[in-house]
Amino acid sequence: MGLFEPFQFEFMQRALIAGLAVAAVCAVIGVFIVQRGLAFLGDGLAHATFGGIAIGLFLGASIDTAVWYAIPFTVLIALGIGFVLRRTQLRGDVATGVFFSFSFALGVLFLGLRTATDRQIDVESLLFGNMLVVTPGVLRVVVIVAVLGLIVTIALWSRLAYAIFDPELAAISGVPVAVLEYLLLVETAVVVVVAVKTVGVVLVSSFVVIPAASARLVGQTLARTTVIALMIGTIGTGVGLVASFHLNTPTAATIILIHSAGFALSLVWNRLRR
Amino acid sequence: MSDPTTTSLAPSVVSVQRKKSALMLDQTRPDSSLPCVLDVKDVTITIRGRTIIDEVSFWIPKGEFVCLCGPNGAGKSTLLKAIMGLIPVTTGAITIGGESVSVGHHKIGYVPQRKGFDRDFPARAVDLIVAALRGTWPAKIKPEERERAKAALTKIGGERLLDKPLASLSGGETQRVFLARALINDPSLVVLDEPTAGVDARGRAELLELMTGLSRSDELAAILVTHNLAAVAQTAERIVYIEGGELLCWGLPSELLGQTSLTALAFQARDHHAHAPDEE
Repeated sequence: MGLFEPFQFEFMQRALIAGLAVAAVCAVIGVFIVQRGLAFLGDGLAHATFGGIAIGLFLGASIDTAVWYAIPFTVLIALGIGFVLRRTQLRGDVATGVFFSFSFALGVLFLGLRTATDRQIDVESLLFGNMLVVTPGVLRVVVIVAVLGLIVTIALWSRLAYAIFDPELAAISGVPVAVLEYLLLVETAVVVVVAVKTVGVVLVSSFVVIPAASARLVGQTLARTTVIALMIGTIGTGVGLVASFHLNTPTAATIILIHSAGFALSLVWNRLRR
Repeated sequence: MSDPTTTSLAPSVVSVQRKKSALMLDQTRPDSSLPCVLDVKDVTITIRGRTIIDEVSFWIPKGEFVCLCGPNGAGKSTLLKAIMGLIPVTTGAITIGGESVSVGHHKIGYVPQRKGFDRDFPARAVDLIVAALRGTWPAKIKPEERERAKAALTKIGGERLLDKPLASLSGGETQRVFLARALINDPSLVVLDEPTAGVDARGRAELLELMTGLSRSDELAAILVTHNLAAVAQTAERIVYIEGGELLCWGLPSELLGQTSLTALAFQARDHHAHAPDEE
């Protein structure tokens, strides 16, 4: 079978579109998340998503409709992290770690409270995702959220960048720093919930962190860093998807290994440039 | 008057003695015929029930370089934040060129402490200066913006720094870039918040020279927060000294620094930034 022949199958076309959409929006948001020192945030919110989905399932939702419970729950967790960050001396990793544990424990608790007569759910697919089984309905939601996320982030890029560089200087220039920070957290929460549907709870934070961290090693300005993160995220996803098909390996994991290879190359580039 | 339901910073016995010492000093105020750039009038700032600044009043005329001094915890940073519009005043008013801070904040150029920003941010000096010009971070810099940033750096002898990544700059160079950034919008007031803190001896000397240049300007008013006695002696045209949130003295350096009691008063809190080991 030729290199690109897998895309004659509809499920591969859907996987490619969903993967590129998730990779693009996660990479662009990731630049700000990583620069803000919140690399752990993606992980924390993904586990909050698990908690939200578990609450939805407990309340009678199906695995597909539970996302509508997960979105408000994860947004609340994101706002909680933001509140602790702004109002206490705790660092981002500590604030995220507390909410991460709370949400995951809540998820396990609510899954445990389900009775034997309730519908069975595949916890493994929830944790690790499966891009190849993305339905047209899920694909529509993923693409809409990704496009909206990209529009919002690009529209606010200059203000977000200034606020993250130095909140005090940005505030003096009239940038609404607190509003932007909360907005970034809410946006990340929504994107992560939707991305969990395709790449799973465990792997979603890699889509946020690895392309942004790799780009940070190569880019000399924030604008270039953003473009490089976008390229690493989307190219890595395309290559990983094709490779996983031909090698018959798990899709999301293969993509993340390709992203990690990109990180290793960026590291080499960074060392050679010095 | 401050809110009686709030707790004021109770003056210690030492500060009562200092108040008495301060009252005995001559304190010449600015000439009232000069145009006022910064007017801090009966300002009280209460945060979470605690009075940090208590009925402080002073003003800075055009062209005057003022050093704002006081021990750690005196309320200098809070007052500075209020001047820049970052925190609201509880009572009283602060105006810049006759306008409230919320309107007039664009007339302020600000030089922060060196430690106050993320040195790992992927940015060049030109990005930082243009950000101040636009009020947002630049994704792409126009040729005319680049020229303005270059001109601002040239004014302070730092044109070679234009395209350098911020992370590669020394402490003195970084503060030089921040000074150019502060001057890019032709401000009427420059606020310098301990700009020599964390800068090595050479960088500190260079900055002091640049600040002395600012001090000689007849156009620009400046307010420098520092613990560094050498910086005060070299740049101050007037000194505002606050302690425990209250204004203790406001006068000429010759009146305040010449007095052994006040020199001790103002700087016995330890000139730690001037003598910190990492700065030598």
